[in-house]
Amino acid sequence: MILSDFDYERADSLEDAVALLARMGGEARPLAGGTDLLPSIRMDNIRPGMLVSLTAIEPRPPEVLPDGSIRIDALSRLASLENSSLLRNRLPMLAESAHVVGGNQIRQMGTLGGNLCQEIRCLYLDQRHDYQFVAPCYKRGGACCYPFPRNDPDTCWSVYMSDIAPALIALDARIEILGEAGSRSIRAEDLFTGNGLKPVRLSHSELLRAIIVPPARPGFGWGFHKSTVRGGLEFGMAVIAVALRLAEDGKTCADARIVVGAVREGPVRASAAEEALTGKVLDDERLASVAGDASKEINPLPHHGFTRRHLMDNIRVYMKRTLARAVERARSGEHPA
Amino acid sequence: MLDVTTRGAAAKTRSRSRLILLCVNGEWREVAVKPRHTLVEVIRDMIGLTGTKASCESGICGACTVLLDGRPVLSCITLAIECAGKQVRTVEGLAEGGNLSAIQEAFLDQGAVQCGFCTSGMLMSATALLERDPKPTRQDINKALEGNLCRCTGYNAIVDAVLQASEQGVKPVMK
Amino acid sequence: MSELSYVGKSVRRKDGPDKVTGKAVYTQDVKLPNTLIGRILRSPHPHARILRIDTSRAKALPGVKAVITVEDTKGIKHGFVETPRYPPDQEVLARDKVVHVGEEIAAVAAIDHVTAQEALELIEVDYEILPAVFDPEEAMKPGAPEIHRSHPKAPGKHSNIGGSTETEWGDVEKGFAESDYVREDRFECQLRTHGYLEPHVTLAHWESDKLNVWTSSMGVFVKRAKLAKVLDLPYSSVRIHKTYVGGTFGGKIDLYSHEYCASRLSMITGRPVQIVASREEIFSAYRHAQPLILEIKTGVKKDGSIVAQRIRAINNAGAYRGSGVVVIFLAWGFTMAPYRIPNLKYEGFSVYTNHTVRAPQRGHGAPKVRFAIESQLDMIAEAIGVDPITIRLRNARGPGEQLPNGDNTHRGGLIDCIAMAAEKSDFLNKFGRDRKSPPKGSIRRGIGIGVSAYMGGTLIYPNGSAVIVKMNDDGSAVVLTGAIDIGQGSETVISQIVAEELSIGMDDIKIVSSDTDTTPQDIGAWISGMTYVTGNAARQAAGNAREKLLQVASEKMGAPVENLVLKDKVVYHRLNPELKMSYREVIAASVAAHRGDTIIGEGFWRTMRDEPTHPSLATTKGRWTENYAFSAQVAEVEVDIETGEARLVKALTVHDCGFPINPALVKGQVDGQISMALGHAFMEEVITKDGYTLNPNWLDYRMPTIHNMAISEDADVITEKYQVGQPYRTKEVGEGLISGILAAMGNAVYDATGVRLHSTPFTAEKILNALKAVEYESRRSRRGKTVRA
Repeated sequence: MILSDFDYERADSLEDAVALLARMGGEARPLAGGTDLLPSIRMDNIRPGMLVSLTAIEPRPPEVLPDGSIRIDALSRLASLENSSLLRNRLPMLAESAHVVGGNQIRQMGTLGGNLCQEIRCLYLDQRHDYQFVAPCYKRGGACCYPFPRNDPDTCWSVYMSDIAPALIALDARIEILGEAGSRSIRAEDLFTGNGLKPVRLSHSELLRAIIVPPARPGFGWGFHKSTVRGGLEFGMAVIAVALRLAEDGKTCADARIVVGAVREGPVRASAAEEALTGKVLDDERLASVAGDASKEINPLPHHGFTRRHLMDNIRVYMKRTLARAVERARSGEHPA
Repeated sequence: MLDVTTRGAAAKTRSRSRLILLCVNGEWREVAVKPRHTLVEVIRDMIGLTGTKASCESGICGACTVLLDGRPVLSCITLAIECAGKQVRTVEGLAEGGNLSAIQEAFLDQGAVQCGFCTSGMLMSATALLERDPKPTRQDINKALEGNLCRCTGYNAIVDAVLQASEQGVKPVMK
Repeated sequence: MSELSYVGKSVRRKDGPDKVTGKAVYTQDVKLPNTLIGRILRSPHPHARILRIDTSRAKALPGVKAVITVEDTKGIKHGFVETPRYPPDQEVLARDKVVHVGEEIAAVAAIDHVTAQEALELIEVDYEILPAVFDPEEAMKPGAPEIHRSHPKAPGKHSNIGGSTETEWGDVEKGFAESDYVREDRFECQLRTHGYLEPHVTLAHWESDKLNVWTSSMGVFVKRAKLAKVLDLPYSSVRIHKTYVGGTFGGKIDLYSHEYCASRLSMITGRPVQIVASREEIFSAYRHAQPLILEIKTGVKKDGSIVAQRIRAINNAGAYRGSGVVVIFLAWGFTMAPYRIPNLKYEGFSVYTNHTVRAPQRGHGAPKVRFAIESQLDMIAEAIGVDPITIRLRNARGPGEQLPNGDNTHRGGLIDCIAMAAEKSDFLNKFGRDRKSPPKGSIRRGIGIGVSAYMGGTLIYPNGSAVIVKMNDDGSAVVLTGAIDIGQGSETVISQIVAEELSIGMDDIKIVSSDTDTTPQDIGAWISGMTYVTGNAARQAAGNAREKLLQVASEKMGAPVENLVLKDKVVYHRLNPELKMSYREVIAASVAAHRGDTIIGEGFWRTMRDEPTHPSLATTKGRWTENYAFSAQVAEVEVDIETGEARLVKALTVHDCGFPINPALVKGQVDGQISMALGHAFMEEVITKDGYTLNPNWLDYRMPTIHNMAISEDADVITEKYQVGQPYRTKEVGEGLISGILAAMGNAVYDATGVRLHSTPFTAEKILNALKAVEYESRRSRRGKTVRA
């Protein structure tokens, strides 16, 4: 039950939606699947004056571009991504990351763009505030922080939970954004500010249009793991996405991208770990030591009842296993042509 | 504390109701909805079909699951106005001409119903699964129903019901 | 029992078709014209004095029809327990101070939800914040912030004692001195909650001097009594109507403020008022289960037989007495029933804290008590070199044993349960396997066993159940019962019994249930007594009708009653089947010849038929029930020793339920309890901080999903039987099967990893940290220091 009122317009196209959003000057929000937006409105965390519905805009199915990249429409429902045979064959990590989001109904409703633009999460934020945590925190435009009372007003140690973002960053994807001035293209990782107060770098009149993933090169292998307590339905304790390439000798790492999500205000690249792997032979010992260092480098925030120590332990073990799986896949030549 | 007048004035301009047409269980219905009305409110309160349940109102437990153009969705976080012109199926639409569907019979045969509050949502998720995949594996079933919480049955009987309904060798337990 | 046609068969649920078609009416599905929406104003502070409440701006808001505070009530208190020692202590709305976050302060009735929300925001309350206390051991200390005055009869000089239980027999100190091995341990269990899918909802309509109420509950007669009391109305002016109920698990028994508020607001406005609790309110302001601290010292002989046990239980009761004083009594009961304990000293305290009030949750303390005792028993067994099965068989009570409170185990099948569980699970072959020879990789499997006893249908208001079987003149019957179906299948079981006693079909029976005006009283669905108590009342009622049928048939057919048999709505002469009368004919004859007797059968039952009342909660003196159920459960778990993640792989439940009236319904209860237990064991916890609930939703309160369920097998040890015309004893299966499996999971985690946890839940973090500690200790001991596991 939603108690605050808002107006509603349906856009015929993304350009139309952008124009509507621009005209409303920040008072309007785009509505795709609504699985993140509507709970926020229900909890009275935001009170948009208008929702601009994207429901009439039909997304194009994933397609292969002339240069071998794969283009995925931002309005694609997550269920269509997990079930797409193109993605399962050519971008299995992306299909897998869509597959682990929420529960089935959430995947049927939610879109790729919505998943990337989701708000950060914090136990104190994600509830109605009728009698608990009534005074707004910094995130809600107020003057305190409940979990970390000594934080400054510009610091919001909440966590960004998208399961798909780490996969896209690991795959070196680009994101096409449509705004009033037209389209622009950025690297996936540049979409995220790392600041819990405004985790996604989009103006009020910009929308994600498409995600473009470059073709995989020879020697490619991927690994993906989402840690949860129940094995489904939940947001992650930690999300680990690994994309690496073995050199021609099949043993040495040519390059690696390691991204961890759900443990900080944005997805985090374990750059030092990536460097520690590059040019080295990827044996068990190396993977274990890199994973150990990465868990410290990532510096997870305690969140949703998990302590920092335990998140580091979890990342350490699963990072190693995920790296090993990526190496296995790279060796077996599982990568798409 | 909110100032009453401001809220009242703003509410008036935004509060315009619109007439929408929804096809619910094969019948076209015209309802007047405000943008903020959720599909579950419209189904239960305006149309009067109370088989769909409201439990958490936050899109987590799945009790409110209905089929929207064949897709299982959480009606508590779906705006009714978004569904204009669409096909909505609820639990009341599963039986045909007084005959229960295979999955409904299977739920009764397997003891998959106890308090019944999760049942409507479970049946809709299971129906959507079986329409897409006539022979789901246990893993497929778990993945399709992971968004439907049940506190009474411990789920095993529900999985058995889906296996029975899809004729995968599970025999009725209750007669 | 092969001659039975309905009892013992897995017949389909009577309410099943309505539930799978969406036709079953739950409270929120009841629609009345002109209904107002009610909302409750809740305390934002865990402990504060109320200096001023001003509702004038709320009352003035257009669309608001009534606003109430405690000043608008009769000031009558209520409580879960209402005895001379524990008089009712809670008002329906806060007076003078609030003692927990979410406590009810005021209520509004408005034309719609938006207006109701606005109205709440217009109520002005000034508070003076008071120091608060959240930990029960802190709350007990002298000088702790006083939430309520300590109970005058509680021993010791502790603060904030809501109630206490003390009992002993034998001489524990002497017992410990005579023991060959003694150990002392402390166990703690987390705050967990019921998680029923249907929220709390109440619809109240005051019309023509009568209050009609629809509410999600566990017993309509308790509700009526409490509601009528606080409203100061005669019971006949309050009608609690039948609705289906979407799960309860103990969380919907006693009176809730919103039930009062909906009623009172309707009485003021003359319109129906509906109040629905949001899921957040349920998680943060309503009742949760009772976290227990248990300190146990046990002494045994070298063969494992228990000599002495001393137990101290501390319950974090929340801000009012609630059911805390019952759980500390029950904790004693769950200790003394399964095993012989020659010398016992038990002390329990229920302690006020500035948390939400507690309610029983399925098992009502048994899971926590059995977890503690069974874990310690395994530790003892290992120390003295006895296996977990042998030590349990050595101590388990057999049939016909007198219990310390004067009760008897009767045909208790615990020994058979343990033996069967051990055999079916191949326990002794699997036990210790991965510890002795660890397999490659990081997964370890372990097996554990847990034993429990539970009771059924003990005496608490309204103490007894009655059933009426109204024959229709075609031989079919309408059965009136106050029993409420919360999912356990009461309507089905009652129908089976009546069908069996009267030899009519399941389709010939319709149940009219749980309506305080039209059905006779019932004990309610909250002390596991339905099948035994209400079932026997139904049996007696059907038997009463059967006797009348036979009497009339006997006269008409000119044959003694002993020569007549009933079968499928026909009365036959045993020796000459050609001589027969249909029920239709018999009933017509009864109306014609027996002064119009239309054949109505009446029956009633209660436990403890020769005892006036329930035992003393404070001293445990007095008999409790004749109906003890026993079980042994085995858990097989898997633990990833690199991550600490553990899961239940397989559960085996061997239970003495007497005999199952409907085996599939029993299996359903078993499965549901396995699921609830594994949630308690591995993933559920209400996270609170300074009295606030941090995870008031199902994403962050991790109730099991379909992914988490394990293989669940069950087996019956049959110790009773059903005979038409005779009272029968079935034993409960709805609550007691969480305890053994919870304990078994703790023991299985130890078997898999060598890690012994003294608190639930067994989170990955706890297991991993304990594994690290074990690893550290073993490295230390390899360097020459001795360490006791």
